[in-house]
Amino acid sequence: MTQKKKPFFVGYLGIPKALKGFLLKASLLIFAGFATGGVLAGVSQDDPGEAGFRFDFGRQTVSGVIQAEPYPILHVTKGNERIKTGRTIMLTGQGKSGVSGNKALSEETVVDATGIILKRGDLDMLQLAGGKRGIKITEAKDELPESQYLGKWRLQGEICDGKCLVGAMQPGRGLAHKACAILCLFGDIPPVFVSTQPIEGSEFMLVGGPDGGPLPESTYDYIGQFVEVEAELERRGDMLVMLVDPATLKAVK
Amino acid sequence: MSVKYIPVQWNSNKWKYNAVMLSAVFAYLWIFIELTPDIMQNEGRINSQVHNARAFGSCAFFMLTVILCIGPLARLDERFLPLLYNRRHFGVIAAAIGVTHAFYIINWYFAFSKSNKYEALLFANTSYGQLAGFPFEIFGVFSLTCMLLLAVTSHDFWLKFLTPRIWKNVHYLIYAAYISVVAHVSFGILQDQQDNRLTIAIIISALAVAVLHVLAAFKERKTGDVAAKTLDNNLVRVCDVSEMIDGYAKVIKLENGERVAVYLQKDKLSAISNACAHQNGPLGEGKIIDCLVTCPWHGFQYNVKDGSSPAPFTEKVPTYNLHLDGDTVFVDPKANPPGTYVEPVAINP
Repeated sequence: MTQKKKPFFVGYLGIPKALKGFLLKASLLIFAGFATGGVLAGVSQDDPGEAGFRFDFGRQTVSGVIQAEPYPILHVTKGNERIKTGRTIMLTGQGKSGVSGNKALSEETVVDATGIILKRGDLDMLQLAGGKRGIKITEAKDELPESQYLGKWRLQGEICDGKCLVGAMQPGRGLAHKACAILCLFGDIPPVFVSTQPIEGSEFMLVGGPDGGPLPESTYDYIGQFVEVEAELERRGDMLVMLVDPATLKAVK
Repeated sequence: MSVKYIPVQWNSNKWKYNAVMLSAVFAYLWIFIELTPDIMQNEGRINSQVHNARAFGSCAFFMLTVILCIGPLARLDERFLPLLYNRRHFGVIAAAIGVTHAFYIINWYFAFSKSNKYEALLFANTSYGQLAGFPFEIFGVFSLTCMLLLAVTSHDFWLKFLTPRIWKNVHYLIYAAYISVVAHVSFGILQDQQDNRLTIAIIISALAVAVLHVLAAFKERKTGDVAAKTLDNNLVRVCDVSEMIDGYAKVIKLENGERVAVYLQKDKLSAISNACAHQNGPLGEGKIIDCLVTCPWHGFQYNVKDGSSPAPFTEKVPTYNLHLDGDTVFVDPKANPPGTYVEPVAINP
């Protein structure tokens, strides 16, 4: 096309006739491209799996004995329809706050715990109700279930924050969720290891540090990543607890 | 063109442009947010905050891709120039979509803790020494900052205040923003995604931007004007008169890198700078409408004899002196101050 015959577009004038068809096609292409992109990007999201707050269960109250380290867990001694007697459940506060700082939750204290259940598979967590409604210390006495030492293991998987993993956020694990997970751990939310292979029948393990206390902050760079780590494994109630050796923690490609 | 600053100088083409682009964006968001959850039929449902964040984030990425493709497309095929005309509006919309994405992310992943959520965005993940798990959020912060800066300074007031050269250099930040967005998604969502379709779409988008820019650069090099040498008489040869078309220009590149647009208008030759005073648009690729050189990018107009926009407009570009030797047109490479009148050279004296 010679220079003279080329249509010349000026924004504040009308669209040249020779360009109208082309621009109509370009407009339709842009619209169709974005619509297709919306479908493609939308449906390509991974399934986060079934998990989350069970508000449909309503507020639950169970009794049990507290094991404070590495993060407070409750061995249920008097359960209900939703949380059976003999279960061991993790405890959390509201938002990104755990309950490690709650002085009432000392070792072997018997309490009535009230809150909303979060659930993923066989992993349960109780988000305690706010204020004094969440925990009531009872006069009852009880003993912790005996821990069963399962030996030293080298495991592969991911260290997540337990609350998002059980469905407070969906999805609640992975590298894209790493910053949120670290923020949760800073708030004393219990970390959970998701193993690539079920160990002793469970793929989820509560994580603690080598001294039996909370997971050291020096390991937080590895949160949300696929890692390999050596750990002492124990069964406490019906929950597996792994006490990791931070020196052995390494990323796996 | 304007003599005073108003928020937007609307015209029917701008309305049409925005209608097309906005409908495309709304279609993307509506399909992503409203339709795809039912199509997926997943076992678990993604939180609406995360779902919305992903919808707005991916939309902003594809909008940026389109924005960056328009430039080279218009260089490769002039029929795409109308898409360039109102691109700034699309850029401002993209910044707004990006802000919405950030709003959802910050108020979800970084909320609910005892820390300030904006501070948490910066301190939660500090694994800067590793690739996997790198704090990809920082790339998003950088991109969004660039996009907001560009959106805020997109108005012609800033163009005039900063001068076209500085304004243009500032707005090249769009490339840094795009690269940063690619890094943001590559180190973020794509690290987790098991379904590869989004990964493929993002790779194709980034490649499209890169390939179009390379093709446009090749075309520029192949057909672009080579710097002409200054002759002994201190003039630069432009072309023969017979090569010129009435109402259009021949562009010559001088040794100092400046380009001159030599126009033929009613058997008379005049020369002005090729760079439009508005956004450095290529005046030599425009044409004369109503006796005025009209820029192909945004329609800014100049009198070819003195390089001045018609009153009441005030834009001015430098003019050049021409010489005719037989059938050959020569230009004096020394530019006259913007707005200097130069008597046109008649080709049939």
